[in-house]
Amino acid sequence: MLISIISIFLKILAVYFGLGILFGIYFLIKGATQIDPLMKNSKWIVRLLLFPGVVATWICLVPKLFKK
Amino acid sequence: MGLNYQLVLWNKNKKVYDRYILLFVLLYLVLFWAITLITNRNTTLETLTIRSSGTLAILLLHIILSIGPLARINTKFLPLLYNRRHLGVTMFLIALIHGGFSIFQFHMLGDVNPIYSVFTSNLDYSSLHDFPFQVLGFIALLILFAMAATSHDFWLANLSAKTWKALHMLVYVAYALIVSHVFLGAFQQETSPYMPALIGIGFVILVILHITAGIKEVRKDRQTYKASDTDWKYVCEIDEIEEDRAKIFIVDNERIAIFKYENKLSAIHNVCKHQGGPLGEGKIVDGCITCPWHGYQYLPQNGQSPPPFTEKVATYHVKIEDNKVYVLPKALEEGTEVTPAIIK
Repeated sequence: MLISIISIFLKILAVYFGLGILFGIYFLIKGATQIDPLMKNSKWIVRLLLFPGVVATWICLVPKLFKK
Repeated sequence: MGLNYQLVLWNKNKKVYDRYILLFVLLYLVLFWAITLITNRNTTLETLTIRSSGTLAILLLHIILSIGPLARINTKFLPLLYNRRHLGVTMFLIALIHGGFSIFQFHMLGDVNPIYSVFTSNLDYSSLHDFPFQVLGFIALLILFAMAATSHDFWLANLSAKTWKALHMLVYVAYALIVSHVFLGAFQQETSPYMPALIGIGFVILVILHITAGIKEVRKDRQTYKASDTDWKYVCEIDEIEEDRAKIFIVDNERIAIFKYENKLSAIHNVCKHQGGPLGEGKIVDGCITCPWHGYQYLPQNGQSPPPFTEKVATYHVKIEDNKVYVLPKALEEGTEVTPAIIK
């Protein structure tokens, strides 16, 4: 039972971060400027710096993308 | 505050603070390694790395959690608050070294996924004494990762101040997990009482600091003035406000900061648009009110960030009669120009 709970928890974590990486790649290519217009005038390296944060919080950024 | 995002918001002072952080980190690691190798020559490189990075991360976390209340108790600590973000990221990177090396040393050498191994190598979750303490450290590391990864200004603007603040308040959850991680780990693997004792002392100091700062805030909030929108409210004597500084007053539950500069007085809303920092605890730098938290600036006479920046806070009418300072509690629209009261 305990093993099952741990497995499910880690699988959810893996799926969350996996989707985060996919969204992060979209963010690097196109999403950054769609989410925040100030990113247009920012250096590309700023997007790389933001990448880990996108992977961690992509679930908060996706609705923002659709609203735009 | 700006027309684009910078990689790192550095200025002259921040660079100095960052050099001190780097120097402190290097000094700590050198001392830790030297003392350990002198007292126990058989210590392995991995163990040295795990222990030095772990203890350093905990020490930095205690310093980080102390800065907020210390700055509320004494404004001399405000420069530390201004640079706390870089200290936080440094602490996470050191904690990551600790976690990474621990996983490598204890969980990488088998045929089980190392993360899975962290959670399943010890399944005694129902025991307090033998609880798998590494799991607590792993979860704390995830929280610290989320915080460090979202420390850039982009996140404040795009996660909203409320969400960002809530996310970063999780540092207290991470702290509780780390304290438990250390205590349980010490019970299971250590024979020396020093580490739990030091963590215990650190915990007590943090609690005392937070309570002291909280009492000071409550006292400040009690000095509340009630006034109708059209009543000028006496707040203090001119001499009670230091040059290029402010005094904060609470009128009808709103905090107003009255700044004294160049023989003038101006009043603005106390809350910074960036992260809700207490503007009245900052000072006038280059003619601008400068937030003590992250250096956002506003012109005292209109509450606007200097062009080309666009942040605005509410302003208030202020007047002087017989050396006494009065404020009109009705907030004007954000960015409204108000003629400063002249000190004769």
